[in-house]
Amino acid sequence: MLRILAGLFALSLGAGFVGALSGLGGGVFIVPGLVLLAHVPMHIAVGASLIAVVATSAGASVAFVRDGWTNLRVAIILECATVTGAVTGAYMAGLISPPVLEMLFAVMMLQSAWFSLRAQGEESVEHSDPLCARLRLGGKMPEADGTATSYGVVNLPGGAALMVVAGVLSGLLGIGAGAVKVTAMDYLMKLPLKVSSATSNFMIGVTAGAGALVFLSRGDIAASIAAPVALGVTAGALWGGRVLPRLNVGALRILFVIILVLIAIEMGWRALANL
Amino acid sequence: MATQATATADEDRILRRWTPLILRAILIVSTVIMVAGIALSITFAPDYYVGRFDAIQRGRLLGHESVWQLVQGMRQGQPHAVMIIGLYVLTLVPLARVAFTLVLFLKERDFIYVAATAYVLAALIMGVMLGRVG
Repeated sequence: MLRILAGLFALSLGAGFVGALSGLGGGVFIVPGLVLLAHVPMHIAVGASLIAVVATSAGASVAFVRDGWTNLRVAIILECATVTGAVTGAYMAGLISPPVLEMLFAVMMLQSAWFSLRAQGEESVEHSDPLCARLRLGGKMPEADGTATSYGVVNLPGGAALMVVAGVLSGLLGIGAGAVKVTAMDYLMKLPLKVSSATSNFMIGVTAGAGALVFLSRGDIAASIAAPVALGVTAGALWGGRVLPRLNVGALRILFVIILVLIAIEMGWRALANL
Repeated sequence: MATQATATADEDRILRRWTPLILRAILIVSTVIMVAGIALSITFAPDYYVGRFDAIQRGRLLGHESVWQLVQGMRQGQPHAVMIIGLYVLTLVPLARVAFTLVLFLKERDFIYVAATAYVLAALIMGVMLGRVG
């Protein structure tokens, strides 16, 4: 028993650590880890990962909320879209065959690899458009010298549409879909990148929580796997968060992309063989 | 306008103060319960755990168990029930956070955000109901 537990914990710790360093979250790495290395069926890996993502988001977003990086109003409005998508995705996950889910996962990993390589979004905007201004979505972000800089928010409908997609991916594949969320806020809604990342991290808890509740109430969560995985991924993410400021992540980015592409090929190959 | 800006700043201040506390408290409680479940497994039922792991690898789950059954199991110190309860407590993170926000916006009569948070809370509850039927 100890060998199984140690293996699951080490796998989860590594997934949480790499997920935090790459900014992609633990879900992207723990699902293929469980499927390919621990030989756990895809839908059980997805359920365990959703639980782990809830824990990781709760642990990681505390400091961002406290320090003022998270835009809570943007999060609340966009969660309407992500939760709708997540519940739909988690429900669909019970109907879709594992090889199709694995193929979708491989495609999503390639999208994450592209996300890691792409340039950051354009400059943020100073003033919100009329809809975002009416919803008071603009905010202030803290600067190093103790002052705060105001920023505006635009294109809520475009961002919300992409958030529905992020929610479906989260519920279907057991990931936080942070890459899609940050793209929606940074590219479409012109939020500053660090605010986008912090807000995405915060929203991931509710998105993955919606999916986890569907899995848990359906009886599709294996506690023997989900509990040690949740503990391991959270510990790995906290460890990664501490190491992150001391590392040159830019240099590691190519390594993350290679890992993502290799796992995507392995998952895609396995899916094709089982179709 | 100034009044609305002040109200918005007040809401943000309350949210930034209380949200981290809610997140951290639930995370700690669920972690303690899950660690206890794993420790009980190691101490009293290692063979059961190995059997469950083998069954899971073959895609066999225990299926849905009612909260009452789990609470009974937890009282009897069943490791599996303790771990599942830990997972349920963890899923209270989003529910509690959204419910707290809903109460705050209701108190402040900020009805656009009352509607948004009520929708998110309803969708989370709908997820539980969908899981039960599907």
